[in-house]
Amino acid sequence: MIVDRRVLPHLDWACVAALLALMTIGVVSIYSAKWDFVHQAPGREFWKQLYAVGISLVVFAVCLLVDYRSLTQRSLIFYGALIALLLYVSFFGVIRNGSRRWIPLGGFDFQPSEFARVVVALVLAAYFAGAQRLSKSMREIAFGALFLAAPLLLIYRQPDLGTSVTLIPVFLGVVLLGGMRMKWLAIAALVALVLAWPAYRFVLSDYQRGRIQTFVNPDLDPRGDAYQQRQATITVGSGGLFGKGFGGATQAGGYGFLPEAHNDFVFSGLAEEHGFLGVLVALLLYLFVILRGLEAAKLAKDRLGAYLVIGILSGFAFQVVYNITMSAGLAPVKGLTLPLMSYGGSSLMATLAGFGLILNVRMRRFTN
Amino acid sequence: MKLRDPLARLSHLLPSKGRAALTVLTSSDRPGEAFEDAWRGNVKRRVIVVVSLLALWAAAIEARFVNLQVVQHKFLLNEAENRQQRLLLDKAKRGEIVDRNGQILAYSVDTDTIFAVPSEIKKPAETVAALCHAFGDCTPEERADLVTRLSSGKAFAYVRRQIGPEASARIAKLKLEGIGLRTETKRFYPKKELASHVLGFVNLDNVGLGGVESAYNKYITGLDGRSLVQVDAKGRTVQSRMQQPSTPGGTVELTIDQYVQHIAERELLAGVEKFNAKGGTAIVMDPQTGEILAEASYPNFNPNFPQDVRDDDARRNRAIQDTYEPGSTFKIVTASAAFEEGVFKVDDIIDTNPGQIKLPGRSKPITEAKGHNYGAIPFEDVIVKSSNVGAVKIGLRVGAELMERYISRFGFGQVVGHELYGESRGQLSPLSQLTESSLASMSMGYEVGVTPLQMVTAVSAVANGGTLFQPHVIRAVIQNGVRQAVAPKPIRQAINANTAATVTEIMEQVVVSPHGTGGLAKIDGYQVAGKTGTASKVVDGHYSKTDYNVSFVGFVPSRHPRLAILVVIDTPRNGPAYGGSVAAPIFKNIAEAALRQLGVPRSVNPVPPLLITAPANTISQPLVNAPVEAMVTDASGESLVPNVHGMSAREALRVLGKAGLVTRVSGDGVVMTQSPAAGAPLDRGSVISLQLKRVGTVK
Repeated sequence: MIVDRRVLPHLDWACVAALLALMTIGVVSIYSAKWDFVHQAPGREFWKQLYAVGISLVVFAVCLLVDYRSLTQRSLIFYGALIALLLYVSFFGVIRNGSRRWIPLGGFDFQPSEFARVVVALVLAAYFAGAQRLSKSMREIAFGALFLAAPLLLIYRQPDLGTSVTLIPVFLGVVLLGGMRMKWLAIAALVALVLAWPAYRFVLSDYQRGRIQTFVNPDLDPRGDAYQQRQATITVGSGGLFGKGFGGATQAGGYGFLPEAHNDFVFSGLAEEHGFLGVLVALLLYLFVILRGLEAAKLAKDRLGAYLVIGILSGFAFQVVYNITMSAGLAPVKGLTLPLMSYGGSSLMATLAGFGLILNVRMRRFTN
Repeated sequence: MKLRDPLARLSHLLPSKGRAALTVLTSSDRPGEAFEDAWRGNVKRRVIVVVSLLALWAAAIEARFVNLQVVQHKFLLNEAENRQQRLLLDKAKRGEIVDRNGQILAYSVDTDTIFAVPSEIKKPAETVAALCHAFGDCTPEERADLVTRLSSGKAFAYVRRQIGPEASARIAKLKLEGIGLRTETKRFYPKKELASHVLGFVNLDNVGLGGVESAYNKYITGLDGRSLVQVDAKGRTVQSRMQQPSTPGGTVELTIDQYVQHIAERELLAGVEKFNAKGGTAIVMDPQTGEILAEASYPNFNPNFPQDVRDDDARRNRAIQDTYEPGSTFKIVTASAAFEEGVFKVDDIIDTNPGQIKLPGRSKPITEAKGHNYGAIPFEDVIVKSSNVGAVKIGLRVGAELMERYISRFGFGQVVGHELYGESRGQLSPLSQLTESSLASMSMGYEVGVTPLQMVTAVSAVANGGTLFQPHVIRAVIQNGVRQAVAPKPIRQAINANTAATVTEIMEQVVVSPHGTGGLAKIDGYQVAGKTGTASKVVDGHYSKTDYNVSFVGFVPSRHPRLAILVVIDTPRNGPAYGGSVAAPIFKNIAEAALRQLGVPRSVNPVPPLLITAPANTISQPLVNAPVEAMVTDASGESLVPNVHGMSAREALRVLGKAGLVTRVSGDGVVMTQSPAAGAPLDRGSVISLQLKRVGTVK
């Protein structure tokens, strides 16, 4: 482990501030969404999220300070650990809402799948950066895809379609930088399109199909699947330009009209309480963070750093884009959290670990 | 550059402590400058693509948020509020109906209603079993019905409404999920059948469906309060804000005197049973004002259980809804017309020989009752003996136009009461269609349909000196402690006082004279004026030989009338069916008891009839029990909680109900403690709890 104090002046403090701001907005939104009207106190999710922020900052510091090269060097250990944890979960994890995703750790539920994006980014970056040229051969890319396939299948089987799908942009980000021809991406997209119907018909479960159907035609089932989507739209719209004020949420607040207002739909809750202005601020913060990340990829000293940054950032950006689109009622409801803001300790920890690595790469751009 | 197999490359990923592996991966085996440029260029190009896509998405999503939060804001906000807020009606308590002395005939009390939220009930069958166990009297049909309703998954269903306190306590103790209690008011008629047709009844939703309850429904209902309730997604109330408290309904004070009403009902029932009749009507009216003191019809019903009434016959208010051919009582109208227009004088002789009269267009001659031939008799005896031939001759001389005019003047063929729904106007052929035969029939009370109310109203006009008063059962309406009395309403002068006096004198003879038909209506110590009536009923289009409407109408004391009474008995079957034999004794029984009840002095020395006038201010009767408790008020004008200490539960309920308080009673006996205490500022609609105790001896 190499911690070099000389690199610290190159830390991207603006990005750190933006991350802290987003986490703060998230915690405040959870405070509102989980306000307990019976006891007139914030719900326990608020306190748990606060603890999670504390632990995540420690994880962030570790991922920032340890040279990313020594981490990528051990990426197979991390990868092995991830697969082991996912296997453990698939047999011994606790089931909540019909899905086996968690390992209970005394009060906190640990969700290994959230760390899959970071680990897959690490191992893919190490793999493709190991090549002394751009990897254009199908064989190399297919081999890299194997790293993707194992966690993807394990997470998909939990079942957790949302989280497993977020691994794909991680892979695409790395292989595209790694040298994959755009032609192949086009072919892959075509194949995906052809496979879409059989997948829709045979792979997706009923509730997933239902969500897509109601997204296309919300009037099909106003009380069921379309309920969330409709409620999200109403929640956002009722906020107006300036919002209902902190604690003024009636949709996303403790009354329960908007389900998962602290989790998947945290952004809708923000839109209700703080209006379009709140949306604008949060959105700009996310864009800022992503752009700073892309800059870090450009500035990276080596391909390893660039690939790592792009891999992590792809997963992050995909989640942000999809979740906000969904919060605005424009995408089918899928169990996909908004990183940094949504409730969930594992998600927060993994996201901050990822950003620790991104800033790590940027910070060490001048070192040898 | 060496071409490496991907598998070989894997080995470099394996952890290694040596610096060598690290250098292999990164720095030492550094590719040339060209490659450096190649991959950096690749990163730059693709980053630009990503940034532009991201910018596009950001613009699109911002547009979407602007659309939702600015353009559609109002609509969506409204949508949100529709889901979150519910307007709850706070049902106002129905006002009371009291008799002229403030005695309660109808009032409302709080009862519990059990409702279910079927969507929250997981095992309907078990819930129903528990409920039925608590009720203890479920029929299998009700059980099955409940299971269906509780399985519906809806947000609301009634289980049982307006149940007793014991059952509701048992249910409350069960604490079943998805089962709730709420307060509803239930209408009680403490006197049961008494004045049922006047009072009417209400349905489970407290909507008046008959009688005064229906006609004055709006007034008695009061104004429902509104509260805005914030609900959560499951429909549970989070908080509620009172927008407008409910205003209890007004009290309606009837002209009915419950004692007189009881007398009328008792005697009517006795008469109907004695003569095995189908039904009957008795009306007691104050002839000086048109106030109805009693209005009894049989069959009647118990308004506490209106749903138990099998046929509508019992619910029908015969007094105002039924018409009948009055028969000889209608000769009062014929005689009045004859005198008023000077066609006849009292001592004119009318030849009724040979006891029958043939008319064109009539197959059978008109005959006297029982085949009599009264010969040539003075006008007076035509009424006293009830000669049909005489009446026909008088009627024909008076002529169709005048007869029709007087019939109308007496209020026949018109709606006279205008208070309760369903009042009939009777049947009266228009003048243009009046043949000689019809005119003859009308002169003796046939071919004209009248309601009992019209008949007693007309005779009241004769009694009071000729003024036709609008009959009414509403004496006053009381709201917020303000009593608005209904003034007697004279419609018109039907006949002049002289005519009225002459007709009165003849009607006295009907009762007094040895030849009179109404001898059984004689009352010791009181001078009675009256007229009998016996009319064949039309059965299957023909006048029946067996079915009659028999009646007696009269007033007492005849020289200063306090009561005008009509008794109509429908189809008496025991003994001869004559007004004189059936209705007159009932009239007598009612009049005798009512006079005693009202304390009317005996009229042993009658004053000359010409002096009869109708002083308007002699009849107002004192309120024995004021129906409204005076409300205690302090200097600031704020109302105070009344003191109910020592009152019975019912009294206390009435007093507190008037004050707009919701009463919770525990224990039995008389009120020992109340909370809030007497004299505390009164908050309408708030709950007051009373602790009752039995006291051993009352000092």
